Amino acid sequence: MFKHDVVIVGAGLAGLRAAVELRKKGIDAVIVSKVYPTRSHSGAAQGGVNAAFDEKDSWESHFFDTVKGSDYLGDQDAIEILTSEAPANILDLQRMGVVFNRNDFGGIAQRPFGGQSFPRSCYYADAVGHMMLHGLFDNVLKYKTKILYEYFVTSLVTDNGKVAGVVAYDIKTGNFEGIAAKAVLFATGGYGQVYSSNTNALINTGDGMAVSIKAGVPLMDMEFVQFHPTTLKSTGILVTEGARGEGAYLLNSLGVRFMSKYAPKAMELAPRDVVARAEQTEINEGRGVEGAILLDVRHLGKERIMERLPQIMQLSIDFEGVNPVYEPIPIRPGAHYSMGGIKTDYNGRTLIEGYYSAGESACVSVHGANRLGGNSLLDTVVFGRRAGTDIAEYLKSARERKFDESAVKRDEEIFENLKKSSGKERYGLLKSELQEEMRADVGVFREENAMKRALEKIIELKERAKNIGIDDKSRTFNTDLVEAFEFNNILLIAEVITRGAILRQESRGAHYRTDFPERDDEKWLKHTLAVLDGKGGIKFDFSEVSITKFKPQPRTY
Amino acid sequence: MEFRIRAYRFNPEADKKPYYKEYTVEDFPGMTVLNALMKVKAESDGTLSFRRSCRSAICGSCAMKINGITKLACKTQVGPEIDKFGIINVEPLANMPVIRDLIVDQENFFNKIKEIKPYLLGQREDEAYEAFHVLQEGEKINQPLYYKSEFQNLTGNNDTPNCILCECCYSECGGVVGNPKYLGPAALAKLYRYSEDPRDNDRNGSRLVNGSKPEGIWDCVHCQSCEEFCPKGISPVKSIVKLHEKAVKNSITFSAGSKHVVSIAKSIGETGRLDEIKVAFESGGITGLISDLPVAFGAGLKGKIPPLRHKLIKDMEDIRLAYKELDLEDKL
Repeated sequence: MFKHDVVIVGAGLAGLRAAVELRKKGIDAVIVSKVYPTRSHSGAAQGGVNAAFDEKDSWESHFFDTVKGSDYLGDQDAIEILTSEAPANILDLQRMGVVFNRNDFGGIAQRPFGGQSFPRSCYYADAVGHMMLHGLFDNVLKYKTKILYEYFVTSLVTDNGKVAGVVAYDIKTGNFEGIAAKAVLFATGGYGQVYSSNTNALINTGDGMAVSIKAGVPLMDMEFVQFHPTTLKSTGILVTEGARGEGAYLLNSLGVRFMSKYAPKAMELAPRDVVARAEQTEINEGRGVEGAILLDVRHLGKERIMERLPQIMQLSIDFEGVNPVYEPIPIRPGAHYSMGGIKTDYNGRTLIEGYYSAGESACVSVHGANRLGGNSLLDTVVFGRRAGTDIAEYLKSARERKFDESAVKRDEEIFENLKKSSGKERYGLLKSELQEEMRADVGVFREENAMKRALEKIIELKERAKNIGIDDKSRTFNTDLVEAFEFNNILLIAEVITRGAILRQESRGAHYRTDFPERDDEKWLKHTLAVLDGKGGIKFDFSEVSITKFKPQPRTY
Repeated sequence: MEFRIRAYRFNPEADKKPYYKEYTVEDFPGMTVLNALMKVKAESDGTLSFRRSCRSAICGSCAMKINGITKLACKTQVGPEIDKFGIINVEPLANMPVIRDLIVDQENFFNKIKEIKPYLLGQREDEAYEAFHVLQEGEKINQPLYYKSEFQNLTGNNDTPNCILCECCYSECGGVVGNPKYLGPAALAKLYRYSEDPRDNDRNGSRLVNGSKPEGIWDCVHCQSCEEFCPKGISPVKSIVKLHEKAVKNSITFSAGSKHVVSIAKSIGETGRLDEIKVAFESGGITGLISDLPVAFGAGLKGKIPPLRHKLIKDMEDIRLAYKELDLEDKL
């Protein structure tokens, strides 16, 4: 049994940023992560982080771009915070040691990104996530933060509707531990592993979201899944939007820059939902190159590629066998980011007192129906910091709660039973079936019958998952057991996504219904909230969108 | 095509000592070693244990020995390995205790990272904190200016900040083999990165002083393995050499290693020759000299006795010129 004032679950950017904020104030915060912090998926972010710095730019313009990008589903009060606090947050990171590329005048260099009306993405070559993650990790060390690494959180513990702590499984020893705390922050990231062909790390299994919905905290707007337009054809590995920011072309099999048809003004730098749909249309209509589209950077020249996109060059060579200096890169859309997540306000608070969430696992919502490139890193630091600040305030009046240790026993039993089971099903294979089904039927283009087929498949898999057998019976580093548990999490998340997507009979942002191709503000300008109904199903409710400055308009690029 | 993968196996709960287990895997185009391990785990043996996360060579989880060489499993294609070795042999990283199968204990490695103070020093915290400023309507923010050239050293040596802490260099490091307490290449490259940061304000040079202690920068054996095996193309050894120069330039020469370097430079500057006795004395003092005695005695038995007094070599003028060129005139 551990006891701390604050437990931060997840050691990506949002978690680390909150930790720094709390530790700076001398607060007893512990970080719990199922991997070592630097293995977190934030480190894979490549292209940039948005903030209006330039004389000719303004945060208000960033504000509008983000609202428009969200297809008017983003909450404008929250987006105003995101964009007006952006520059200060970037400078804060810079003060902490993060390095950004420089412009000729000594300021932070900025590149264009999709859906942004001004080049405002700050970057470090094409590895800004890595730079930020390691920079924040170093600061976490600076403030001597306790890290419980390779602990897998299985439950949230509450006491009379207020947070009391978490239950965690120590992967190294196989022991279950209760961690009592006055405040808990989930910065647990997304669920990319719900889909085959995704850009996400294998650890992105939506654990925090699954634990939350099981604890009665609603998940918001889960039907909105971002498909990144440029992921390597054979592995789904990300190719930064920064490549297009630097001037790359998208070509179909005829060698035509087809974006002129779909977004004549923005071209390749249209938002991700628009570009992903354009690519999928080209592929579906037979103008793909072996099921892919070509991303051409050759005209940028070797020197610029090596300076600005060195990681992309190396990834293309290592994982696709293509040197982008001489050949175009075969790419296709792949699952990338979750706009939805644990419902929070703009201080990271959820419906349970003392329970917070920030980063991709949370839905504030600043991304609405479609996130703009360069806004997710910003989201992590802005709302990670705000959650940290708010928790510090909350602690002043928070009382210690009773930690019900039977929760630890209960989770231990679930794991023990799973471990003992000698069923015939292998989670590894079920996972592939689920991922393939989700890609095929709840992907870039959606339609009722296909999604119902997906739902049937999910229900079938839930049944079969009861017969999962575990080979590994030991306690030390039993990754077999952890992965089986993770599979149950992505299965639950897949169901929430699919049911939400069937429910929402309109097309908005990344959620495109071929049977309802128009946005329907009258009926659907609202957030969906999913909770478990206690009978093995999912119940939906709705909440209002905050509209302060910008009335919904048609969205063209 | 089917191929064989032979994995190092050890479960402390069941095995007295490690053993190897062979699996047969069906290949697909572009398959990586990580893909192969995942396939084994998903389809036939869930007990095979390894770490993995991003699968795109940026998180550093899946470093392991593949056919004897430390690599990232996610970045290593099966095809070329099979062509060369006929099998995929996977083993845990060296220089670290094995917890289970391919999983090693990284505690020591990360403690060493902590030890070098991997963050900016000497900033005024309260000031930095107060400076956070939320913009009002129509407001712009001023940013401090830093020119590209100011960051040049920091990103030099093949982009030191790109280090992903994957432990490949540490596993191959000759210095750690000789002395497990040696900080190792990744930690020292990070020390270099922060000491070259224009925002760092380490007024008393504490970071460099710390790094100069035993087990620090002077314990590098210059085997170059860290550069050779880095999956991100970084050269920690070049950073370490730069740290040597920096330490000497800043007269942080209390360690035997730095005294050794200074003494050699002096000896050559004076006579053009290496005065072994003097260098040994100046590097290690009396105790150093005594501990070197068995070596000297052994060499003496083989007839290798250095002269007590060295004559100047005849091209001394060239050496003087070279020293002037290198800014080492004080060593003449």
